[in-house]
Amino acid sequence: MSGGNQASTRARRDRWRSAALLIRDLVRIHPRPFFIAVSGSSVFALCTVASAVVLRWIIDHVIDPRLRQGTVAVGTVVIGLGLVIAVGVIRAAGVVVRRTWAGIAHWRIAETLTGQVVDRLVAQPVSWYQRRPSGDLAARGGVDVDASVDVLSPLPFATGVVLLVFVSSMWMLLIDVPLGLFAVAIFPVLIAINITYQHRVDRHYTAAQGHLGDLSAAVHESFEGVQVVKAFGAEARETERLSVIAGRLRESRTSAVLLKGSFDALLDSIPALANVALVLLGAYRIRSGDITIGDLASMIYMFTLLVFPLRLIGFALSALPHSLAGWNRVREVLDEPLEADPELGVAVAADGVGVAFAGVSYEFEAGRAVLSGVDVSVVRGGTTALVGTTGSGKTTLLRLAAGLIGPSSGTVSTVPGTRTIVLQEAFLLGASLRDNIAFGGDFGDDEIWTALDTAEGRDFVEDLPRQLDTEVGERGVSLSGGQRQRVALARALVRRPALLLMDDTTSALDPSTEARVVARLRAALTDATVLMVASRPSTIALADQVVFLNDTTIEATGTHIELLATNDTYRSIMEAFELDRSDPDAVGAPVIGPGSVTGGAT
Amino acid sequence: MEDEELGGRLGAARILSRGVQEAPRLREGFARTMLYAVIGAAGRVVIPITVQQGIDHGFTSAGVRMGFVTTLCAIAGGAVIIGTLAQRAAVLRLGRRSEGALYDLRVRVIRHIHQLSLADHTEERRGALVARVTSDVETLAEFFSWGGLAWLLDGALMLIVAAVMLSYDWLLALIAFGVALPLVWVLRVVQTHLGKAYDKARSRNAELLGSITEVVTGAESLRAYKAGHIMAGRTKVVARQRGDAFVRAGTIGAFLFPSGEVFSALTVAAVVGVGVLRGTAGGLTAGALVGFVFLTYRFLEPIAEFTEVLDQTQTAVAGMRRLLGILDLPIGPPQPTSPKALPAGPLSIHVNDVTFRYRSRGEVDDDEPVLIGVSAKIPPGQQVALVGSTGSGKTTLGRLLARFADPLAGQVVLGGVPLTHVDNTELRSRLVVVPQEPFLFDDTIAANLGFASPGTSLAELEHAVTALDLDDWLASMPDGLQTQVGERGMQLSAGERQLVALLRASVADPDVLILDEATSSVDALTEVRMARALERLAQGRTTIAIAHRLSTAMRADRVLVLEHGRLIEDGPHDQLVEAGGRYAELFSAWVSSTSTGTDEA
Repeated sequence: MSGGNQASTRARRDRWRSAALLIRDLVRIHPRPFFIAVSGSSVFALCTVASAVVLRWIIDHVIDPRLRQGTVAVGTVVIGLGLVIAVGVIRAAGVVVRRTWAGIAHWRIAETLTGQVVDRLVAQPVSWYQRRPSGDLAARGGVDVDASVDVLSPLPFATGVVLLVFVSSMWMLLIDVPLGLFAVAIFPVLIAINITYQHRVDRHYTAAQGHLGDLSAAVHESFEGVQVVKAFGAEARETERLSVIAGRLRESRTSAVLLKGSFDALLDSIPALANVALVLLGAYRIRSGDITIGDLASMIYMFTLLVFPLRLIGFALSALPHSLAGWNRVREVLDEPLEADPELGVAVAADGVGVAFAGVSYEFEAGRAVLSGVDVSVVRGGTTALVGTTGSGKTTLLRLAAGLIGPSSGTVSTVPGTRTIVLQEAFLLGASLRDNIAFGGDFGDDEIWTALDTAEGRDFVEDLPRQLDTEVGERGVSLSGGQRQRVALARALVRRPALLLMDDTTSALDPSTEARVVARLRAALTDATVLMVASRPSTIALADQVVFLNDTTIEATGTHIELLATNDTYRSIMEAFELDRSDPDAVGAPVIGPGSVTGGAT
Repeated sequence: MEDEELGGRLGAARILSRGVQEAPRLREGFARTMLYAVIGAAGRVVIPITVQQGIDHGFTSAGVRMGFVTTLCAIAGGAVIIGTLAQRAAVLRLGRRSEGALYDLRVRVIRHIHQLSLADHTEERRGALVARVTSDVETLAEFFSWGGLAWLLDGALMLIVAAVMLSYDWLLALIAFGVALPLVWVLRVVQTHLGKAYDKARSRNAELLGSITEVVTGAESLRAYKAGHIMAGRTKVVARQRGDAFVRAGTIGAFLFPSGEVFSALTVAAVVGVGVLRGTAGGLTAGALVGFVFLTYRFLEPIAEFTEVLDQTQTAVAGMRRLLGILDLPIGPPQPTSPKALPAGPLSIHVNDVTFRYRSRGEVDDDEPVLIGVSAKIPPGQQVALVGSTGSGKTTLGRLLARFADPLAGQVVLGGVPLTHVDNTELRSRLVVVPQEPFLFDDTIAANLGFASPGTSLAELEHAVTALDLDDWLASMPDGLQTQVGERGMQLSAGERQLVALLRASVADPDVLILDEATSSVDALTEVRMARALERLAQGRTTIAIAHRLSTAMRADRVLVLEHGRLIEDGPHDQLVEAGGRYAELFSAWVSSTSTGTDEA
């Protein structure tokens, strides 16, 4: 029992410690705006107390003399009103300063952190990414950074509130010790209730957030599968299933609302009742001549002003767990050591050899071999097709040759010079076509057009009104799949590669365009070695050599015709393809034109 | 956004009354909630009144009247407690009702969306449909938990504060209102700028998230071309722009609350100034003037909040409008009023002079009919292939046969009963569609199969696997029927998803099978399994295959060729090839392009 208690005390202490460290680490990034915000908040706190002091002065020196005794000096009135306005304006200015600079601190720190995460992400090699879901990584640079920084927003205000509580306590004690003691005793009660409330209501809000997430995932899935739902007449069943989740959301929401209603009542009524008590106690102190009416009224006024700021203390604390979780995820990316660049492990191939794999194995994770004992070399300057079923390791072999990943054992060697790889899914930046082809390199428009020519991309780019200046939109959404692939191919070609690796790059082109691209490549890249994953028999037939992968290793090498004649598995795959990818639409589309998959920019 | 066209012309008041109509729970006991809110608001002016009474009648120049003060405090304490309890009751009542109403509304919208015709369930609209059930209902939820509450409680409070002020001194009250009035205008102006600034910041934020996603999804390309620093640089620029946009919005927002502060200082100064100037002539007492100072804060506090509440109310009304837009969409093919039963056994399908056109939406006017006067009589048990290029109407014809939509003219007759007279539940149990991209739920294979017929035992599922000769495939799955298929079935290959879809169809044991063939590539082994399973599944059932591979057409009893929405050829494969028409043309092109390429490219 006591052991458990100790453990939880330690856990709580650890949490406070890590919260303090988090705040320190964040503030260090941009301390200036943060401390300006804290100063603004302090001005606000001091002026809040000052406004009560001014009210006391006005009651005792202006209102009471004029309305009870009949006269007051005009100068006194002017001073009093001037003070009211001045304190009000300065107090407001404090708020403006605090909020503005708290925002600056928040967003500048987030910006710096995002930059650090992104720098780290682009520094890690492809092998590092393979074990990590991309959605999760993207979240770390975005929402997780924001979550960690969220802890800062309420801090300047909270600091101000602490100062406010302290100064106003002092002031009330100074006015009258018994009344002051009574008032000051209420603060810890209010703070404790606030923290308890926040703690309890957060549970419901967190639960509600989870249920809402579940609901949107379930609704999304149900609407996405609507055809299946309708095909089996399951509409009512699905609505029923979703309404159960919606019901859970409703329950936690309702619990939160009920809790909030009750606590709000408590938090409103305690200061109000304390004020009533102050009037009663104050009556005795006024009777005995210890305080004035102004003293009493201003204390009551002070109390009214304090209710709202005190509520934010609980709110500030509620952001903590959320921020700590986000911060831990951000740190995981920042603190992880950079993995060695596999490209450094690629050796130079012997003369006449384009790419060679010697005893190469690759395991995605222990015991899950993607490639085992691959021994093969392809001739320099030739075109080699890599053929195999899904999961046979074709893409992995290309990645190894590109130096994007390193083998678990064995050596990879390639022809010296520029290596370029064109992936199956063309990645385009939300930038101009020119930037997407140059992709950080320094190439003239002539070179870019030549590369586009070879990639069969000149026609469609020329048809675009802004040609190379055309912005392709995020991830190239404004282009068709085939157009994106040709831009990606031009990106590789403009670099005049000694080794060109293509991972089913031309799959979105129709068969005749694909055949034309491959033929052009062969003509244009006389010296370069081309290694390409291909699946259409008509394309494979164009290669000088075929490497046939089956079940993680090389089953056979030779020309297409040789393999058709000698290898049954190879032949059955080629025949399956025949049954397979022949949508009549794509058939016989002789040139690129509107309406076909690869159509121009219409 | 596209749904706004439907409810777009309705004004805010109409939207609200329609909203209450759709969620009647909101109206329940509202008068009582309102009453509690007013009593609660009255409780919040107890302190200023107590201070005023105390100063004027308790702490007189002659000395302190303890008896009076004690009674005053007892009454005030009681009033505070009653007020608090009333306010709590109002909050709780509104909370329970609104959460209940939102639940009802959510379920209604989900049910309605499920019943919409497939034409309304396009991929582009899916996000919007999901948003109706989630974020749009959430805008209402936020409204009720804050804005709605503010209207109720703060509205009552302002009225009561104004009444107390007027009763103290009508002139000072009018001065207080007059000085505070420009605040409303100031706040509106700030609010408008703030709204725009936040819209901009939010879109910058979306850009940043997109840019970071690019860094991650493009990691391989960036690495391969050593272009990581370029993307990092671009992302940092966007991060800076986002920061700037949020700082700007934050700076505007920083003036919102303090302007209330400044105005309350001005109002207090004006009230005290005028009050002191006039003296006791108008019957003003010291207590009333101090009470005024307290009341000014109570009066101005809600005004600052109201500007934000107004904004939130607009958001909620917009959300409601979109919800009503969905509820106003007519649901898919209606249920027959007096359904006729289908005959037992395999069913014939008669397509009688069917014409169809998709409902045009928005400005795009697609008048072009998708099907024009299509007729065909398919006897029970026949295997039919529908062939034609994209846009020929073959998929649409499949949809009409499955009654995912009703033809504009003509009719589809199933087993002698027009589809419009077949009960929906019976239709779904007798006719099953296997879509082109079969959708799997993120669950086990067993659960996905069971979806076709809830309550099917595991043994029955295993039997279905054996019946389609897929035991070897199931054995290759890590956990057999309990294998998790992942989101959208992504743990399986495209071919394997097809296999699960075929199994699912066989679990439903329909008499008519409509198969929209996949175009995606499948490896050789799966291809063989699929052909085998399909052959067994089709046995003894009327089967319509929307064929993308002409190999399927070759195997069918009969081929229907569609072009531009018209049925142009109808007959067995051999006969059509011999006839030398459109089908023969398609077939020869197909043969040459898929040849293994030993003699030509």
